[in-house]
Parts: sequence; structure tokens; C-alpha cells
Amino acid sequence: MTSQISALNAKPSLDMRQTAFWTVAGGIWLLPLLWIDPTTYLVLTVAGIAMGMLLFLTAVGLTIIFGLMDVLNLAHGAFFAWGAYVGFTVLGGLNSLGWVETGTLGQSVLSVLISLGVALVVGGLWGLVLERLIIKKIYGDHLKQILITVGAAMIMAEIIKVLWGPNQEVMPVPAAFVGSYDIADVVINKFRVAAIAVGAVVYAGVMAVLLKTKLGIIIRAGVENREVVQTLGYNINRIFTGVFAAGAALAAVGGSMWGIFREEINPAMGEENLIFALIVVIIGGLGSVTGSFLSAMMVGLAFNYVAFLMPKLSLGVNILIMAIILLIRPWGLLGKE
Amino acid sequence: MQVSEQSLTPIQLQRLSEQSTRYTRPAFLLQLLLLVLLVLCPLLFQSFRVMDVVAKIMIFAVAVASFDIIIGYTGIISFAHGMFFGIGAYAVGLVAYYAKAPDYHHILMGLGLAVLLAVILAVVIAFFSLRVKAIFFAMMTLAVAEFAHILGYQWSSLTKGEDGVSFKMPGIFNVNWSDGSILGVPLNGRLVTYYFILIVSVLLFVGIVRFVRSPAGRVLKGIRDNEQRATALGYRIFRYRMLSTVFGSTISALCGGLFAMWLNYVNPDTVLGIPLMLNILLMVIVGGLGTIYGGIVGAAFINIAETWLPDLQKVTASLFPGWEVLQRLSERWVLYFGILYVLVVLFFPKGLLGSLRDMAARRKAAPKLGGPHA
Repeated sequence: MTSQISALNAKPSLDMRQTAFWTVAGGIWLLPLLWIDPTTYLVLTVAGIAMGMLLFLTAVGLTIIFGLMDVLNLAHGAFFAWGAYVGFTVLGGLNSLGWVETGTLGQSVLSVLISLGVALVVGGLWGLVLERLIIKKIYGDHLKQILITVGAAMIMAEIIKVLWGPNQEVMPVPAAFVGSYDIADVVINKFRVAAIAVGAVVYAGVMAVLLKTKLGIIIRAGVENREVVQTLGYNINRIFTGVFAAGAALAAVGGSMWGIFREEINPAMGEENLIFALIVVIIGGLGSVTGSFLSAMMVGLAFNYVAFLMPKLSLGVNILIMAIILLIRPWGLLGKE
Repeated sequence: MQVSEQSLTPIQLQRLSEQSTRYTRPAFLLQLLLLVLLVLCPLLFQSFRVMDVVAKIMIFAVAVASFDIIIGYTGIISFAHGMFFGIGAYAVGLVAYYAKAPDYHHILMGLGLAVLLAVILAVVIAFFSLRVKAIFFAMMTLAVAEFAHILGYQWSSLTKGEDGVSFKMPGIFNVNWSDGSILGVPLNGRLVTYYFILIVSVLLFVGIVRFVRSPAGRVLKGIRDNEQRATALGYRIFRYRMLSTVFGSTISALCGGLFAMWLNYVNPDTVLGIPLMLNILLMVIVGGLGTIYGGIVGAAFINIAETWLPDLQKVTASLFPGWEVLQRLSERWVLYFGILYVLVVLFFPKGLLGSLRDMAARRKAAPKLGGPHA
């Protein structure tokens, strides 16, 4: 009886804390309204959401691989860079057919989809090779995982420099995505719309696979208890290889999108984005896809708002958010304690 | 004597035996030989390139050993070690730069500033992230280190951004200072700086060795091997981890200061970036985690390879003039380092020195036990 009462008492206080927390998290979105006019606010918000979607694309693979396999993959940025370079090559090839910088709307959309598809395949293959060759041997040993994936990232970045050269390249941008829409003075870059669409599709897809399909159930069960899933006749090793490859493929798609978004690529982009992805994943809570989605939005929006209000601070704001969140919830927004 | 020895604890007995064999063990003679070699190096090789490599090896050996305290002895994976190195380098560099005509006390000021900043920052980072999982600490420190790198680039009113800062050292540390010669070696600022680095790095290294052999150092090992047991024994784990991080990071900052004194130049990529951190990680892995002396082996291996491997590239270029990809392949020695690094982590997790020690221990143990088949 007493335990029931204490449980009843405990619940509201927890809710209070959570409510307060979510109010703060949501407040970040509305804060700049105090300073700037609505039009600018809308422009910045759309830019922030687009950036957040791209960040989510990068971070989602990292969080899935950690959440399901308990592997911290610091080679994630290298998959990302590979995706960007593969996209660059594909778009360059299609450009010589006249599809990219001059073609029709259909050709533009198709060329982006093809480059994303090829990046997906190449990223997946890299993930497959890496998992089979080295990750498989070091399950359960975090220190070795961190060390070895750092080494793998080093190797992959060097191979990029061998194949494509060490210099910065200019990404060809499909004609239909150049320029911006102008809706009642709200200027929206065309590719940002595409970024938001791709990000939303990927989020919905990942959640659907994890929550609605049998594969998702097996994967989630495998996280809870490997042995039992194996006894039931599912080959958990094969599933883990698949999960790793899928995470790598998503990173490569993110890289390809990011490359088109920024219109330039360089071999060091993997490292830089790994940091972004890590910050997003830490804020969201390791292993939580929805957490990553929310934190990617937070980081994207905060970056754009702060870049407008206080340009000097924009690079540090992510670290600041991370520090504040970790102070309140050391395990991240939706992470497990 | 007999009676008092019996009343000693096993650990005290072990210490006694350690002390009695201290000056006759081969390891001690090896250390002495190494020290003599380092002292004589400028006399033996009168090329600047060799002296440059040896000075860098000394600095990085200490930096790697201090990283080993954190990663090898305490089992904390920190990616901020390169950042502390950079903070030290920038502290010395900026003080010398803004002093215009620096005096000796500016060096002390720079090094003092390096220590102060490193201690404060290490305490803050440790406080934020040591209470969470190890994996979080790794990611937090990686993010913070990258932030420092960005700051080095962007805060150009202070750091001069990407261009970096060139500065002069005072008095006898100045490159242009010279005063005759000793034993045929020109006595100049370079030589003085070399010996200064030698003295400081030997002192720091001895300090590191004493630290890991002290009671506190042994507690750190205990925490690494079994956290719950150490807690049950009543040790405040958090405090010891904090001590380890702060101690290691401070020494790294001092190494950065020495590095700045040697180069007379700092910029974000050479002293602060992720590549530097990867280099330190590579050295500690090649030398062997948890060996301290492995730092010397790792630093020597990587620095020597880094200096002379690019020569290979010229050979390939002259042999295969038309093959661009092949030339790029030979240019990318980091690629081979990466492959080597992954192989070492996979197959020799104890590194060069650790594996050697294992072999020596096995050989020593074999005759005593007689082996299982004997």
C-alpha cells in the first residue's frame, strides 16, 4: 500500500521535471522571436529544419549501430565522406549527359535519386566489408571499437585522397534545385525543401522498419538478449552485419545530400561531420532514433538562429547545448539511464 | 633484521626487493644508455634534421606517456589530449608573440599559463563527463577538442587564425643567438633549446614513472581492472579518475609548450587538430597501452617514419613517372600508418613494448614452472 502511494507521489514529480525539460527544449525554437521579425524568423526556421534533417541523416546510422549492436563507430564520418564523393562522381557522370546542370525537372530529381542510390550501395558495401573484416572480432570491447574505427576512418579518408585527390571539389548541383522559392517575402532555398523531404522519409522509414516489421522486432529482441534470439533460429550475426551496413549506407546518403547542399566537398568533411553527428547523438541519447531526430532539429535551428543573432557564437552553440543537456540529463534527451 | 622483515607487509617486501635490484637490472642500463645517446646526439650527428627528429621524439615520448596514464593506466578514452598539447603550445607562443621582445620570465609565464589553463579545463571536462559512461567521455572529449580546433581557426584576433603565429624566443633560446662552439659543435640557440627540452622532458618522464608507481597510480590500475572492487575497497573512484585526467593533461600542455619553443611557430593544424590527436593515439598503440616506456618506442617509430617515408615518394616518382594513382599511393603514407595501426590493435593489442615484455615474462616463467609437459 505504502509503495503504491509513493509510486503515485513519485509520478507527478517526474512528469513535472519532464514537462519543465521539454518546455526548455521547445523554447529554443521560439526564443529568437523576441528579437527578429516574423519573415526572417520563418526563413531561419526553414533553413534550420533543413539543416537539422541533414544532420539527422548523418546521425541516425550512428545511433542505430550503437543502440542495437553496442558498437561505437567513429568511422561513421568516413562513410559520410565516401557518400559525398560517390555522389560527386555520379552527378559528374550524369552532368556529361546533360542531365544535371541543364536538364529538365524530371532529370534533376532522377539524377539526385540515382546519386543517392549509388551512395547508398557503396556505403552499404563499405559497412559490410568493415563489419566482416574487423568489427565482428571486437564486439563488447568499447576501447578496441573506438581505436579500430578511428583507424578505419583514417584509412578510408586516405583512400579518398588516393582516388579523387586531396583537394576540395565543386559539387555539380541539378538545375531544378538551384535558386529559391519566394513565398510572401519568405525566401526558401529549393534544395532545402528536398533535404526536408528526404530527412522526413528516412525518419519515417527507419521508425516503420523498427516498430512495424518482423525484422525490427528481431533486431530489438537481439539487443535485449542475443542468445534467446539465436535459439529461436535467427542468425543474429547476419542481422548485425546487415544493421551495420544499413547504418553505413544511411551515412553515405547523408554525405551525398550534404555535398549537394554545400556545393563543395573535401576529404576532411568526414571528420567535421562526425563531430556534428556525435553531438546530435549525445544530445538525443545514444541509441534513440527519435531522440536523434529531435536533437538534430534543435542543433540545426539553434545554429541558424545564433548565426543570425550572434555570428561569432554559432560554432560554439552546439557544444553549449550539449553541455547544458548533459548537465540536466547525462544520458541525453531520450536515452536510457 | 630478520624480525623486522617478517613484520613487513607483502607490498613493502616487494618494494624492498625492487629497490635492491634497481641499479643492476638491464632495464636501468638501457635507460642510462638512452640518456647518454640523447645527450651526445648533437655531437654524433651534426645534421639539423636528426636533431629536429630527436627533439620531437623526446617531446612526444612524454606526451604519449602522459596520455598512457589516462588511457592505459586508468582506462579512460580521452580525445582531448591533443587539445591540451595545443593549449600549452599556444600559451607559450602567444605570450612570446605579444611580448614582442620576450624575456626569460615570459617563457615561465607561458608555461605557467599552460599549466593553469590545462588544470582548469581538465577539471571542468572531467567534472562534466567522468560520471557518465566511458563511451560518453570519448565522444564529449572529441567534440570539445574539435571545438578548440575551430576556436583556433576562428578567433583570429588572438590566434591569427589559419596563418598561425611566429615568434622569437628570448636570449640563449633564440635561434640567432650563438657563442663559439663546443667540441666542434656550434653553440647556438638550437643547441641550448635542445638541451632544455632534454632536461625538462626527462624530468617530466621521471615524474610520470614515479606517479604510476606511487600508491595513487596503483589505485588507478585497480580501478581500471575492476571498478566495483576498487569501490568496495573504499576508494573514491571519481577523485582518482579526476586526478589521472588532470595530471596527464597538464603534462601534455607542458609538452605543447616545449614543442612551441622548438618550432617557434604555432598554428591550429600543427598543434591543435585531430591529426595531432591521431598521431598521439597511433604512438601510444604502437608502443603499447599501459607501458609508459612504450611512449618512447611509439614516438620514435612514428617520428622517424614520418620524417623519412616521404623520401620514398621521390623514388616512386622517378621509377614510375606516368602513373598518377601509383604516385598518389606512395604520397599517402598515412594510409599505411592507418593499416598498420588497425593491424596492431587487432593482433598486438599490447603494442611493441607490451608484446616484448610478455615474451620476456614468459621466458622467465617457463623454467621455473617447468612447463605443463615437463
